[in-house]
Amino acid sequence: MNETLSTTTHSSARRRLAQWWPYLLILGLLVLFPLLAGATIGDPAAAQDGAGLSSLMQRAESGAAKFWQGMIIQILIFAIFAMSYDLLLGYTGILSFGHAMFFGTGGYAMAILIGRNFNWSFGMALLAVILIALAQSLIFGVLSLRVKGVYLAMVTLAFAEMFYILAEAGDFRKYTGADDGLHGFPVPGWLSATDHRTRFYYLTLIFFVAAFLIIKRLVDSPTGKVMVATRENEHRATMIGFNTFWYKLTAFVAAGVFAALAGALSAMYLVSVTPSMLSLGRTIDVLAMTIIGGMGTLVGPILGASIIQLLGYWLERWFGASWTLVYGILFMLIVIFLPYGIVGTLRARSFQIRDGWKQLQQTLAGK
Amino acid sequence: MTSFIRRNRTLLLIIAIVIVIFGGTIRTMEPKVWVSIMLSGLTLASLYFLVASGLSLIFGLMDVLNFAHGVLFVLGAYVGLSTFLNPRLFFNTLPVFFMLIAAVMMAQHLGRAFWPHVNSKRRQHLANIVLLLAAGSILYLALRGFPIRALNAFNITAVGGAVTTANAQEPMAMMFRRLLLVALAGVPIGILLSPRERQEEVPLRPIWQTALISGSAAVIGIVLLLVRDTGEIWMLALSPDFRFLLAIIMGTIAGALGGVAIETGLIRPFYGNPVTQLVLTLGLSIAGIDLIEAVFGEEANPPMPPPTLFGQSCRSDTFINWFSEHCQSVDVLGRAFPTYRLFIIVVGVVVFAAVGLMLRRTRLGMIIRAGVQDSEMVQALGINVRRIFTLVFALGSGLAAMGGVIAAPYLGVFPGMGAIFQLQAFIAVVIGGMGSFIGAAVGTIILGMARAFGDHFVAAGIHLPFLDAVVKGSPAIARASTVLIMALVLLIKPSGIFGKKE
Amino acid sequence: MAPSQKNVLEVRNIQTFIGQFHILDGVSVEVPDGSITVLLGRNGAGKTTTLKSILGLTPPRSGAIVFNGKEIQGEPAFRTAAKGIGYVPEHRAIFRDLSVAENLRIAERKSGDLARREEFIFGLFPDLKRLIKLPGGNLSGGQQQMLAVARALVPDNQLLLIDEPSEGLAPVVIEQMMEAISRLSAHTTILLVEQNFIMASRLADRYTIIETGRSVKSGMMADLIDDEASIQRYLGAAA
Repeated sequence: MNETLSTTTHSSARRRLAQWWPYLLILGLLVLFPLLAGATIGDPAAAQDGAGLSSLMQRAESGAAKFWQGMIIQILIFAIFAMSYDLLLGYTGILSFGHAMFFGTGGYAMAILIGRNFNWSFGMALLAVILIALAQSLIFGVLSLRVKGVYLAMVTLAFAEMFYILAEAGDFRKYTGADDGLHGFPVPGWLSATDHRTRFYYLTLIFFVAAFLIIKRLVDSPTGKVMVATRENEHRATMIGFNTFWYKLTAFVAAGVFAALAGALSAMYLVSVTPSMLSLGRTIDVLAMTIIGGMGTLVGPILGASIIQLLGYWLERWFGASWTLVYGILFMLIVIFLPYGIVGTLRARSFQIRDGWKQLQQTLAGK
Repeated sequence: MTSFIRRNRTLLLIIAIVIVIFGGTIRTMEPKVWVSIMLSGLTLASLYFLVASGLSLIFGLMDVLNFAHGVLFVLGAYVGLSTFLNPRLFFNTLPVFFMLIAAVMMAQHLGRAFWPHVNSKRRQHLANIVLLLAAGSILYLALRGFPIRALNAFNITAVGGAVTTANAQEPMAMMFRRLLLVALAGVPIGILLSPRERQEEVPLRPIWQTALISGSAAVIGIVLLLVRDTGEIWMLALSPDFRFLLAIIMGTIAGALGGVAIETGLIRPFYGNPVTQLVLTLGLSIAGIDLIEAVFGEEANPPMPPPTLFGQSCRSDTFINWFSEHCQSVDVLGRAFPTYRLFIIVVGVVVFAAVGLMLRRTRLGMIIRAGVQDSEMVQALGINVRRIFTLVFALGSGLAAMGGVIAAPYLGVFPGMGAIFQLQAFIAVVIGGMGSFIGAAVGTIILGMARAFGDHFVAAGIHLPFLDAVVKGSPAIARASTVLIMALVLLIKPSGIFGKKE
Repeated sequence: MAPSQKNVLEVRNIQTFIGQFHILDGVSVEVPDGSITVLLGRNGAGKTTTLKSILGLTPPRSGAIVFNGKEIQGEPAFRTAAKGIGYVPEHRAIFRDLSVAENLRIAERKSGDLARREEFIFGLFPDLKRLIKLPGGNLSGGQQQMLAVARALVPDNQLLLIDEPSEGLAPVVIEQMMEAISRLSAHTTILLVEQNFIMASRLADRYTIIETGRSVKSGMMADLIDDEASIQRYLGAAA
């Protein structure tokens, strides 16, 4: 009796490990990355004193190691943004074309609040960003969830455009910097991405892991199941007795808050915010990440964010100014040939492979 | 009468609100001021309408939200501008297009023979990729180093200044080499585009007919190339009015062809998968603008000179006088108003009437209206709905492109012009109700008025009713006002004023 | 209606998928010339999908559909329809924004179709003549149903597929509709889907019962009426 109990707990722990080990492996790599990069591609001259870890840390702050940490920081920020978008599109089936609204507002709120006009501390500003995002997503969620499908897409698009126009407007130049945006606002010294790249890297990583866990918890919860049911067949979900509006609003608000956090991080990292953070182009970016990676999964958007970010970097190096043309064409080709995104297509493949295996076994067993 | 009121009560309600608000503001203005503001509003509305009507019809009929509609607007503007001022561009590029189309048409027959041999799904996939790669690489070879920038550098405002025609054009032999390669590239494209399953089977024309059509296309292309020098001189010597008409026609045709290409290439293979369609048109909206920038340059062109019909630097006292004087502005209640903008309004009204009549009075229009409600049932009556889809896509795209051409003398020509109009058209369509033609018209008029009065409000300030002080706004608020109007309409009626679909 | 007569339509063992859902799993139906054949079965058994598969709106993945001796499966719906199959869908899918006249005119395959059939159509449904200018959406449910049937009569159709003509109609109107359909059968062959067993048994010559996507029983209606066991088994309390 006791024995069976212990074996079941043992096996469930093992099963859990089996389920989680790819995530843990990637997390481990991400945690070790600054050190590894410092050791391999960092500038050896940057290590002035000491040996071991501290010298590694110094080398990590230099050269290509610093650059690639920056790249991963941006990937992680976009991954948070893309996961939040997937919560809407992939899990709840809400096609929003205004998600950049939250990203940009988060960025602007952070920049303005820690900036010269307010001089708030980072923690206070972060809290304010979350509260602003909550209010904003509640208001616009209630307004835009009155309509469905393409209407909702257009309505959110227009709302985002309104914020874009306001950010660009001369009226609020004192706060928003109008069409120039804000640059060089006083990011607290201990968090400066130029001076303490590795520190900022770990901060972003913590935010990313927290976002991943919270969103995963949400989509695995009963609430998340109702969201998926809403996506599959809203009418049926209503018939069963769920007020789908509240579930959609929950998704909308959660997505808005995480997008705003991503925007705030991006503002902190780049020490600049521009109206383009609120533009349709930014929403298209995040849509592309989600669709290319595979919607309805959390790994998909992360993968998509990495691919788009790296693709953008390399395409720009290879094609110069006309890289967006190549990007656009590649994007269309991927959508045509991998309609379920990379993760979705891989999963379909693995189903096929598993099916194939099963059939093979059955044939071998003489059935 | 009562049933009319009952059926249109939302409309009447909105009209009442608008009258109250406008009435309040207008009361404090001189008539000549608000009449000219209204005319400005109608000018904008007319341009918005040309974009929005197609968008709305396309959405209504096939549930496709075409994000590439703005690209077609820009395409129209650039094609119009080039026809008007720089015909050498067409004498050097049209042969390439004609050759490509000819080859694609012929290759469809090849495709008909090819696809039945590719029976498994995986092989079809492979064949797709191989054909696409082949087409891409041959096209790249064919067009590599094509002096498109030089051909475009027709005036001194272009980067690098003007390039003479003799320097811009490639030698004839080079051009023929390109034509040959392009024809070769057309083969895989044609095979790719040819129908492959019985479900989509469309009877191809008999091969001799295709040969005749594509042959004549190729011949026209080659003749255009051969006469390119005399052709350019002849074109530029034509009267500007005639050239302007030609620009409108060419722009519209280019837009319509672009629409057909989008429908057949990106929309038709993905019916039943609306997210893919949407995302593809989004992708095209990025790549299309980049492509236009690559061909025509990124820098903004100054407004195209309006045709001489609206170009004499004088001011007519009445509309009647304008017919003999062709002045650039006309007196409206003591204020000058540009005649070209009146022309834009007239075009909008004519298009509205023509398309409206087509929808109301012809069999095609009847089928379109029926299809907006239930395209499956139309299909079940024995009507080939897919062909109607393509037709409507071409119509809507052509109208957007026409809007681009007639906007060119008014706003100038620049790659970003489409995005602005597309967004306003989206808002107008949402306000009016998606899929409703009348709704598109009403929505655009509301938006045009909001913008015109908003701009006035920004420039001059306004006496609001019950307020003494003059309130001044900012340009941003005028621009954002359209979004607020949309939010208001959606709160009252989520499907828009005339909308029926949810 | 001797069974020896040739079949206008033969559906042979079709399999239809909608998305990944396997809706029809082996449906076979025979529709002899001049007959009224009815598809019976419970809700969700696949009756409507059978009609849609015949027309090509939901093309079957395998199996054969033979119309007038020619296989038509896999052809697009508009071509199947043009071969002479009229469709009256469930829920009276008339065009609500089109006038009654336009609803009829849109069904013309050759110009003049309507003029030729006008007398016959208005003979069956005299109401429609009075309502000719009204938008279809303003008609009552029964009138809409009549319009939907009338629309299918405009071109020369050899076969009518009629889906649930009595659904949601008042008893008086149902009576009228039955009258019209039985008069119609003198001119065309009809394949009917009908939940109302009494109506079905009075109209139809033949029946096919579909259960969970399979045709399980077919034969002469006259035999089924006496077959209490089968009625109980396949149609439950419906009879």
